[in-house]
Amino acid sequence: MDETENLLLDRCRAGEKEAFGAIVRKYAGRASGTAYLLLGCYDEALDASQEAFVRAWRHIKRFDSQCPFFPWYAAILRNVCRSRMRSRARHRTVALTEGHADPSGDADPVLLAERNERRDRLWRTILRLPLPLREILVMSHFQGMSYKQIAEALRIPIGTVMSRLHSARLALRERLVAEES
Amino acid sequence: MSCEPFNTWMSAYLDGELADDERRQFEEHLASCDACTRELDHLRRLTEDLNMMRFEEPGDAELQRYWGGVYNRLERGAGWILLSLGAIVLLCWGAFKLVEDVIRDPTVSIALKVGLCALIAGLVILFVSLLRERLTVRKLDRYSKEIER
Repeated sequence: MDETENLLLDRCRAGEKEAFGAIVRKYAGRASGTAYLLLGCYDEALDASQEAFVRAWRHIKRFDSQCPFFPWYAAILRNVCRSRMRSRARHRTVALTEGHADPSGDADPVLLAERNERRDRLWRTILRLPLPLREILVMSHFQGMSYKQIAEALRIPIGTVMSRLHSARLALRERLVAEES
Repeated sequence: MSCEPFNTWMSAYLDGELADDERRQFEEHLASCDACTRELDHLRRLTEDLNMMRFEEPGDAELQRYWGGVYNRLERGAGWILLSLGAIVLLCWGAFKLVEDVIRDPTVSIALKVGLCALIAGLVILFVSLLRERLTVRKLDRYSKEIER
């Protein structure tokens, strides 16, 4: 974690909202993008990522200053998204693990940088994967988490991380191949 | 040679997450297995594509709007807490005064006094029961503890 961020987080713990504003601005893009990949809806992604920042602020004193901010925030965000998906699943009587991210057809990769046809297709295909596979891809590729960090966050053994991530990539590749043919 | 233990190692190999001895075993297998080598190439290309994907950094105006949204919620959160606290204090005080007046009033029938006391006791029991249920669910819910991490 860089020194500036450490200082900002110390000021956040002292109750300075402006310092928290700098943290929010730094991670807003990643936060909204991650939420979008989990929820598949732009407006809901913005709302969920903002709600997760509010929760992070309320519990900032519990945050361990020796750890980087984003993985901690990402865990909160994941819970906010999961709880929204649970509520969505309750209303639609769809199991959470089966639910795909794109409920409304709003799958335009608006939050993706340096877009091209292949990346757009990848983005849309990720959104069609079942939640456990999509979630582990997001953690590995978009949040840069190691297998150990993913295992801790999902409370699963490292062997399961290894096999689930592999299954996610295989599923992604199969779908891409199916689409191309 | 069987590919069975090795095909699930492919992703971990690409991510540099295999232990040294596993990596050596995997590379020995690759040297003798064309199918796994081809499969690994496909997966490598996909992994590289995924690693190249980045989220767009929002512009200044967008960031300001985003922070504005978070800030408003922070402010409103404090407002709601104060409003709820104030309402609870006023309601409790009002209810206490009402009960006190009714109990002390000799013209009010015993049945009404008993009914009022039962109503209040029922409300207290329901409140405590709901509160206990909320606290138990919170304790058992694996996702509620993420903020402790």
